[in-house]
Amino acid sequence: MKKSWVGHRLVTTPNHLALDGLRILDLSQVAAGPYATMFFGYMGAEVIKLESRSRMDINRGRARPGPNDPRVYAGGVQGERPYDRTAHHIHRNINKLSVTLDLADPKGKELFLGLIKVCDVLVENYRSTVMDRLGLGYDAVSQANPQLIYLKISSQGATGPEANYGSLGSTLEQTAGLASVTGYEDGLPLMTNEVYPDPVVGILSFGALMAALRRRRQTGRGCLVDLSQREVTSMLLGESVLDFSVTGRVAATMGNKHRDMAPQGVYPCSGEDMWVAVSARTDDEWLGLCRAIGQPGLADDARFKDTWSRQANHEALDEIISSWTRGLDHYQVMHLLQTEGVPAGAVLKGSETIVDPHLEARGFWDVVDHPEAGVYKQTTTPWTLSKSRRQPTVPASGLGEHNYQVLGGLLGLSTSEIDALVEQGITGDVPDPSA
Amino acid sequence: MQSNDGVLSDIKVLDLSQGVAGPFCAKFLAGLGAEAIKVEPEMGDPARRAGPFLGDSDDLETSALFAYLNTSKKGITLNLDVPSQAQSLKELAQDVDILVESFAPGYLESVGLSYEDLSGTNPGLIYVSVTPFGQSGPYRDYKGSDIVAQAMGALMYTIGLPDREPLKVGGESALYTTGISAFSAAMLALHVRDAQGFGQHVDISAMEVMTVAQIHSSINEQFGHTPIRRPTNLVRAKDGWVSPGLETGVQQGTWPKVCELMGVPELAEDNRFTTQEARRTNQQALLEVVGSWAATMPKEEIYHTLQSLRTITGYVATVEDLLVSKQFAEREFFQTLADPVYGDVVHPGPPFRMDDDSWRLFPAPRLGEHNEEILGRA
Repeated sequence: MKKSWVGHRLVTTPNHLALDGLRILDLSQVAAGPYATMFFGYMGAEVIKLESRSRMDINRGRARPGPNDPRVYAGGVQGERPYDRTAHHIHRNINKLSVTLDLADPKGKELFLGLIKVCDVLVENYRSTVMDRLGLGYDAVSQANPQLIYLKISSQGATGPEANYGSLGSTLEQTAGLASVTGYEDGLPLMTNEVYPDPVVGILSFGALMAALRRRRQTGRGCLVDLSQREVTSMLLGESVLDFSVTGRVAATMGNKHRDMAPQGVYPCSGEDMWVAVSARTDDEWLGLCRAIGQPGLADDARFKDTWSRQANHEALDEIISSWTRGLDHYQVMHLLQTEGVPAGAVLKGSETIVDPHLEARGFWDVVDHPEAGVYKQTTTPWTLSKSRRQPTVPASGLGEHNYQVLGGLLGLSTSEIDALVEQGITGDVPDPSA
Repeated sequence: MQSNDGVLSDIKVLDLSQGVAGPFCAKFLAGLGAEAIKVEPEMGDPARRAGPFLGDSDDLETSALFAYLNTSKKGITLNLDVPSQAQSLKELAQDVDILVESFAPGYLESVGLSYEDLSGTNPGLIYVSVTPFGQSGPYRDYKGSDIVAQAMGALMYTIGLPDREPLKVGGESALYTTGISAFSAAMLALHVRDAQGFGQHVDISAMEVMTVAQIHSSINEQFGHTPIRRPTNLVRAKDGWVSPGLETGVQQGTWPKVCELMGVPELAEDNRFTTQEARRTNQQALLEVVGSWAATMPKEEIYHTLQSLRTITGYVATVEDLLVSKQFAEREFFQTLADPVYGDVVHPGPPFRMDDDSWRLFPAPRLGEHNEEILGRA
C-alpha cells in the first residue's frame, strides 16, 4: 500500500499541524460534509471516510454505470473502477482514508462502535433520522465514547416537523430563500447550478467543530452539534429578514444590480461568452470609471451625477460601458479599471482560474497526481494561516483502500479476521454489484 | 463555568472591519459569547449607509444591513489617522484575543497597527485580515465587491440562463461566505492557541473563498467537461415556484404514487417516465405533466405532499415564507429584538447549536455608543 494509516503525518513536517492528533470518522457524502472533512484533513486531522459497499458516497456514482451515465469521469473514461474516477469524488474526498463497513450488519455496527471509541469526531449528513434508525444515534455513540463530538449536518436540523425531509444543495437554495433573490430582473427565481449552500455549510461546519473542541476542553465531555443547512443558508439573507419584519418589504431578484452601487453589472468583452464584472459605489469610483473608459467628460453629465441618478439611468450607462468593453479582453478591462481605483473582475471560467497569476502567486492550487486521474489542480482552503499552514493534498482514496490499515491498526483485527469480514461482505474494496 | 455562558465567554474581540464580510465574522464570535468591541471611523462604517433602510436613509441608525451584521457588539469611534487615537487602539489591542480587520492591505501597517506591531507585546493575538484578494499577490491592492468576488472565483460564469449573461447569487452572498470563512479560520487559530500556545495572522481572500465555493467548474473542466449556464427546472405552482424533484433520487415505487396523487394513474405505465433515467431524458415532458398539476396547488402544499413520498422536493421560499415556516418556528430559529423606534425586529438565529449553549443576541451599537464606557470620552 502506498499510504499507511498515519500517512497524512508521514508526508509532512510534524510541527505546527493545527489539528494534529485529531481523528475524525466521516460518514458524510455528497458535498457539504465532504467539504468540511477535506478541510479538516488539510489542517492535519486524520480523516477516516466510512462508506458501505452497497451505499457508496453518491459522489462515486454507480458500481457499474451505463454508457450514458451523466457523471464526469477523469478523462471521460469510466475504467475498471469507475467509482474511484468521478470528478466529484476525486475533488471532494481528498485528504481522507477510505474504509467500508456494512452498518446494517450487527458485526458492522460493533466495528463501527469500536472506531467511535478511538475517534474524536463523528461527522454525518444523512437524512436526520438515519443514524437513530440504525441504532447509532447520539445516545449510542456518546455512550461508547463520552468524549465524542458528533457533528450532525442535516438538511433541516435534528428536530422539527421537517427534520426528516430530504434535500440537495439546489433545493436548499429554494427552501432557505436564496433562490428568491437570485435571478434576472424579471423576478423568475433561479438556482446557482453550483449547489451554493453545500460549500457554505462545509466551510461553516469547520468553525462549528472548532467551537465544539473548545467546549470539550472546557467541560471535559463531547457534545452533539446540530447544524441545519437550511438555517445556515437563510442567514445569507439576514438583512432582508430584518427589513421584512419591520417594513413588510419582500426581497426579490435584481439581476446583477445592487441597491447602493451604480453602475454594477457584467459587460461583454472580446471572445465568446467573455464578460467582466464592474461595481462603483462611491463618486470617486465613478470618476475613475470615466477616466478608464476615456470619457472624463461623463463626470459632468447630469444623468450620472450621483448614485441615484446613475441608478435611474442605468441602462444608458450600461450602453456606454459595453461599447467600451466589447473590443477588449476581460482581464485587460479589469486591470484598466482597477488601475483607476474601480472594483472590477474578469468573469472567469474554471479553466481560467487554474492559470490565474494571482492565485498562482499565492500558492492557492495544489498540483495533485491522482493514481487514476493523473495530474490535475486542486482547490485548497478558503484561508491562509501564517503559522499553521495547510498540508499538501493527499489524493482521494480508492474505495476501501485502507480497510486493513484501519481495522487492523485501530481495532487490532488480524489479517485473517479482516479476510473473513471481506468474505462476509461486511467490508471490502469493491462495491456490491447493485450499488 | 456554566456551559450556557457561551463557548467564547473568556474571549475579547476587537472588530475594526467594515462592510459585510469582516463584521459577519465578528458577529458570529460575539454570538458565541465573546466580548466584541466594534471600532468605527467617526463617519461610521459604510454599511450604515447601505440598504435596506428601516427608516430615513440619511439616518446612520436605520440600516438593516448594519443592524444585522453587528449584533452583540459594543461600539466605539476612533480616527486611526490621528496618532493619539491609533495609540488608543494599540492599547486596547494589548488586551484582546482576536482582532478582525478589512482595510486595504498595508493601511494598518502605515499607522503602526500591523500584526507585527501588535503581536510583539501580545503574542497570543489572532489577527484576522479579510480583504477582496488577500494580503499578497499581484491583485492585493485591487478593490472588490460581492459581484467581483463571484466573477473572479468562477462561481458566476455558470449561473443564469444559457441565452443570457452570467448572473450573481443574490444578496451579498459572496461577502457573507467570506465572513463565514473568516469565522472558521479565526476559530481554527483559537484552537491552535488553546492547544499550542501561539497566535498568528489569518489571511482571508474573497476571491479564494469563491474559488473554493465553485465546486464543479475547475475540476470538471480539467476532466474534459465544461459546465455551462443551464435552463431552470422550476415549475410554477399556484403561488410561486417548486422543484418537484422527480428526475433524481426517487425510489422505484414512488413514481406510481406520484401519478396517483396527480390524478393521472395511467402515466405510471408510460415508459417515458418509468425509470429515473427515462425521467431525466424526458425532463421537458415530465415538467409539463407535473406543471399542469402543480399550477393548481400552493407551493408549500406540493413541498410537504411530495416530501411525504420521500422525494427531494423544494419550494422557493421568500423571506415572508421563512418567517411563517413551521420548521423554523419549532426550532425557534428566528429571534426578536425590541427596537425603541421600529418595534420588533426579527433576526435569523444561531448558525448551529451545541447542547444547551445559548446564542447571544443584543442590538448593534449606535455610532460611538460605548465611547464613554470604553474610551472615557464622548
